[in-house]
Amino acid sequence: MSQTTEQVQNYIQQRYKAGFYTDIESDRVPAGLNEDIIAMISAKKNEPEWLLEWRLKAFHQWQKMIGPNWAHLNLPAIDFQKIHYYAAPKQENRPKSLDEVDPKLLETFDKLGVPLHERERLAGVAVDAVFDSVSVGTTFQKELKEAGVIFCSFSEAVQEYPDLVREYLGSVVPHTDNYFAALNSAVFTDGSFVYIPKDTRCPMELSTYFRINARDTGQFERTLIVAEPGSHVSYLEGCTAPMRDENQLHAAVVELVAKERAHIKYSTVQNWYPGDENGKGGIYNFVTKRGDCREDDARITWTQVETGSAITWKYPSCILRGDRSSGEFYSVALTRNYQQADTGTKMIHLGKNTTSKIIAKGISAGHSNNSYRGLVRMAKRAENARNYTQCDSLLIGKQCGAHTFPYIESFNPSAKVEHEATTSRIGEDQLFYCRSRGLDEEDAVALIVDGFCKEVFKELPMEFAVEAKALLEISLEGAVG
Amino acid sequence: MSELAEKLAPQSSLAADDFSDLRENAQRALMQHGFPDLKTEAWKYTPIKLLEKREFQPAPASTSSLPELPFDGHVLHFDNGILNADETKLPDGIKLTPATREDFEGIAYGGREDAFAWLNLARFGQAWRIGIEGELDSPLVLAFTTSDDFAAAVHPRLFIDLADNARASLVETQSGGGEGMINAVTNIRVRQGAALDHVIQRGGGDTVRVARTRVDVVRDAEYRSYVLDTGARLGRQDLNVFLNEAGAVGEIDGTVVLDSRQHVDYHTSIEHCTGHTNSRESFRILADGTGVGVFNGRIHIHAEADDSHSDLNTANLLLGEMARINAKPELEIYSEDVTASHGATIGQLDDDALFYLRSRGLPTEEANRLLKYGFAAAPLEGLADETLRNWLLRELELVL
Repeated sequence: MSQTTEQVQNYIQQRYKAGFYTDIESDRVPAGLNEDIIAMISAKKNEPEWLLEWRLKAFHQWQKMIGPNWAHLNLPAIDFQKIHYYAAPKQENRPKSLDEVDPKLLETFDKLGVPLHERERLAGVAVDAVFDSVSVGTTFQKELKEAGVIFCSFSEAVQEYPDLVREYLGSVVPHTDNYFAALNSAVFTDGSFVYIPKDTRCPMELSTYFRINARDTGQFERTLIVAEPGSHVSYLEGCTAPMRDENQLHAAVVELVAKERAHIKYSTVQNWYPGDENGKGGIYNFVTKRGDCREDDARITWTQVETGSAITWKYPSCILRGDRSSGEFYSVALTRNYQQADTGTKMIHLGKNTTSKIIAKGISAGHSNNSYRGLVRMAKRAENARNYTQCDSLLIGKQCGAHTFPYIESFNPSAKVEHEATTSRIGEDQLFYCRSRGLDEEDAVALIVDGFCKEVFKELPMEFAVEAKALLEISLEGAVG
Repeated sequence: MSELAEKLAPQSSLAADDFSDLRENAQRALMQHGFPDLKTEAWKYTPIKLLEKREFQPAPASTSSLPELPFDGHVLHFDNGILNADETKLPDGIKLTPATREDFEGIAYGGREDAFAWLNLARFGQAWRIGIEGELDSPLVLAFTTSDDFAAAVHPRLFIDLADNARASLVETQSGGGEGMINAVTNIRVRQGAALDHVIQRGGGDTVRVARTRVDVVRDAEYRSYVLDTGARLGRQDLNVFLNEAGAVGEIDGTVVLDSRQHVDYHTSIEHCTGHTNSRESFRILADGTGVGVFNGRIHIHAEADDSHSDLNTANLLLGEMARINAKPELEIYSEDVTASHGATIGQLDDDALFYLRSRGLPTEEANRLLKYGFAAAPLEGLADETLRNWLLRELELVL
């Protein structure tokens, strides 16, 4: 027992490593949400008229909506008027290259292990770094341009490729979609835009790193990825925030469009500040992510490792519209202390011979609650569609909860759906075996959990798999009791 | 929706009796929350528009006849929803008495999702309490029948209480026609060491059936239910089993067979309120024609309910081009030292199996029927009472 207490102590002292704050002057709009603020954000970004109108439409819609209350979450009321909807590090002029970017900012990303500088080309990943409301730089622009790939911040895309943005913005997640998507549509600030031309394989992994820094702000980014027929792209996303006592809101929207034979692989390692051991502070992570397999044989893969955020509300989905299109969802969600997660996926089978696969692993420790919520719908037209779902939960500790809410709807008599789920604690015999081989309890648990999550980790690009594994081990430290 | 409330629960006509205050509270709650719509999570897949369309009349004068049952049983006949107690002869082990205030103690409902339970509480006619002691030699049968001109909305209310160490089979059957509604609420107590096999057999007809059954199981007591539902124009059953003390066992096995213009919704939950409790559930739906089958099975293991074990399995056959199945097996676990699992499938008959049977000389139709029967019979085969089991299997055969 004494060992356990010690472990718990260690655990409590385990710091959130990305919890530092960068003292940098920031330019922000006043707190509050109204038409003037939205116009102000739009003006700051020098946006065309149609985009402002779109934002206002979304805002009016949002005013009529009420927040979701169906999730298995204890959701405190959010005062939307207290949030600053735009905060950007102050800079006289927008930097033309990374060399002109404030060194303090680069240092921040260095500290986080994000290779922003081109000299770190060994990492071989193109990065777009988003700091509060703006993108501070995108690497490897030249190489990507040569391949015909567009990878830039959303604001830049609005200026440089307005037609593309206008065509696809809101085509997967309309501004009326849900409460937080409507909010995002009204106030979104930056994010990434990716366009892969026909029959192109993106020459490197693309990555966006999101960082919330300023106090009393939220982050409302929007990512749009369009993959033309026959193209392929792998996109990674990482997120961190400083440690603060108050909660901060992150409401993002991600839209993916995959055309004929295109493949989009979207991976997330989400490590927003989860709050302290008493559940104080942390990020509210309310994200709408959806991919549209718009044409035949398209494929979208979502992989996520969720270890951060005080509250996670997130269901990366696939609309399988094209015939033979396929969607995959691999997820590891770990909650501890007082974290709450209600996450899962939606697979909407519309086309013939569409397939989907869902592997979801939930680990709950401490006083946390971890829910999987998923929907598999076989529409009338989805001849011979096929789904396989597996969701497993692992419980560590007596006060936590693990829940599974799968919705299965079948309208087509030739479609097949399979779902299985288990919930249990770590097997005593597995632990005993590892310990008899000389592993201490913590390493044994890490090993078993690693095995539990293996199916998901192997879907991550290598750089992320290593990070995810390390993150999980840190998060698990001392959680054994 | 308020029209529906006005139709089913007109403000003016509450019965004045010992339960008046309960009725008034229920009526208020019903008016406050209203009836469920598609945004009510628990009624997401079951629209109640049909009720809005129907006009309800007072109970008809004609009587309905009892179906012939191929086994001996102590029958309580609910003729068009009303039990005529005078005509009922019961053995010593079964005591039928009007329910008292005590029976209603501790009953609490929530919001809109429980509208029909509020409606029942506001409107029930004579509530009955059935006490069972010792070991019953033959099953107790609750036969709900309706006549073809039945167009009333009736709200039967029953309390069934198995004394310590009692053993019984309870058979609930429902049959007949008419465009009325039976909205029943039943509370069952299975006391220490007692065991109850609860058979629910329903089928056919245009009658809307809404039923809510709550079962409380205590120390070393066992509750097992076997459901065979062969469809209804609109049917909804909530079956909530509470395992309240160590050693309690709860099992639910069910088969639903649907054809055109039928909509049946089963919402079951098993609550492991304390440790050392076990549950198992297996539920199957076959939907053909334009039938809609809904299954929502929930296992809830409460905090501190260590050493609880639970398994839920639902397999479904979607056979009709226009048929639909919605399945939602839920796990809600707040305790660590437990095992809980669930599996769900929706699919079709296996082509290989069909091919095999046809290669053995069976006509396609016969082969289909055989496979469907094999699939649908599985949950019912665990019923210990052979006579009841054979009866259920024969009823199943009749609809395939």
